[in-house]
Amino acid sequence: MRALSIAATGMQAQQTNVETIANNLANMNTTGFKEQRAEFEDLLYQNVVTPGAQTSDTGTFAPNGIQIGAGVKTSAIYRINTQGDLQSTGNPYDVAVQGAGFFEIQQPDGTDAYTRSGNFSLSPQGQLVTQDGLLVLPGISVPTNATAVTINSQGQVLATIPGNVTPQTVGQLELTVFPNPAGLNSIGSNLFLQTPASGTAQTGVPGSPGYGTIQQGYLETSNVNSVDEITALITAQRAYEMNSKVVTAADQMLQETAQLSGGA
Amino acid sequence: MDNSLLVSLSQQLAAFRSMDVIANNLANVSTPGYKRETARFEEYLEQVRPAEGQKGTQSLSFVKDAGNLRDLSQGELTHTGAPLDVAINGNGYFAVQTPAGMRYTRDGHFSLDPNGQLVTSEGYPVQGDGGAITITPDAGDINIGTDGTISSIINGNINQLGKLQAVDFANDSALTKQGANLYSTTQAATPATASEQQGMLESSNVQPVIEITHMIDVTRAYQMTATLSSSQEDLMRQAISQLGAMPN
Repeated sequence: MRALSIAATGMQAQQTNVETIANNLANMNTTGFKEQRAEFEDLLYQNVVTPGAQTSDTGTFAPNGIQIGAGVKTSAIYRINTQGDLQSTGNPYDVAVQGAGFFEIQQPDGTDAYTRSGNFSLSPQGQLVTQDGLLVLPGISVPTNATAVTINSQGQVLATIPGNVTPQTVGQLELTVFPNPAGLNSIGSNLFLQTPASGTAQTGVPGSPGYGTIQQGYLETSNVNSVDEITALITAQRAYEMNSKVVTAADQMLQETAQLSGGA
Repeated sequence: MDNSLLVSLSQQLAAFRSMDVIANNLANVSTPGYKRETARFEEYLEQVRPAEGQKGTQSLSFVKDAGNLRDLSQGELTHTGAPLDVAINGNGYFAVQTPAGMRYTRDGHFSLDPNGQLVTSEGYPVQGDGGAITITPDAGDINIGTDGTISSIINGNINQLGKLQAVDFANDSALTKQGANLYSTTQAATPATASEQQGMLESSNVQPVIEITHMIDVTRAYQMTATLSSSQEDLMRQAISQLGAMPN
């Protein structure tokens, strides 16, 4: 009886769904987090009668075939890369990207990672780093005697140094875009890696078309919508329950079958 | 062999088939663009020799599967917010170029591949009115109109990127399901008049209440047939023991 295994695929799929929702809700307050969704597709079909099969030599056709499905599978868990809200923090080294770009970060092993989370700080050497102490590329050093730091929407970092009337440009933040940002590999700590699916990274200056602009003193909140998530959770839970009912019903039928010869 | 057991057997096989179809519907309750199916059965008559002392022809009635009826009604449109999710409102399918040939789908969850081509979850290019559609990273925010036109605004100028082309067929029910939300057919595709909705996906049109009710129905029918078979078996056992008893 296929119904048992078909219902099992349904329960597995809904479990993945609930796990994805749980991860979204857990990251509701994670800076720059992008909501994920589980996407499902039907499994292969067994053709008992192919639709449109000829039923006589006078040209009559079966209007509906008999195709028995094998259930469902998770085809993808994809990220929805919409803009999160910008939240004011007042911290001069908090920067949010308004647009598609990612910040480029140097990992301890020297390779590049990308992030939307712009809650940066200064290292003891005065370099702009992430909360994990990783260098923000292309590398910006703020003089230790600077009294104020301004980052404009084009990503220029300007420092006011005592004795100078006009602020000095001490660096330029860059943004990176990908043909398919949904294809980036998420490695935790708000970091992403380039993959064959994401396409090649293209680095540019904030403010160029398609890259987005920089907002100093703001952080991008996660784009998780709690109402959507809770509704999805209820739907997933009910769908799980219904699939388990199919298992019970199929089990009952098999039990009846086993008892058929009970009197013999 | 006694015919009544064979008639019961045909009903039990039909119940199993129904159960498989219901299980597949419920398993796909969250599959975008999935269309529910119902197993249809038909009567199969067999002429038998008339019983002792009766005239005319007599027939036995079995049940056999006639087909799975696909319910093509529109699924609800669910908001996802993903800019490349497109739902078809009305009749029609998106055309997808796969290695096995042209396939059709109502699952409008699309992404971009590394070359910026609009592809399905499996990575197959979606066909626009002029073949595959390419969206470059500098295009900015993508807007998809209800007629499928894909455009974006660059420096205040509207930039046309392509047009999604939904297609329709003379006989939708005869499309063959291929799994992975795809259908195949040899019918000629004609442009559909349906409208397209960006940021939405069409939910599966499975109605849980109908499926669960139907499932209870099938289980009960199966139980009744099982009871019938048991009584028939009792009858046979009694006949054997009583008729076969040696007269004293």
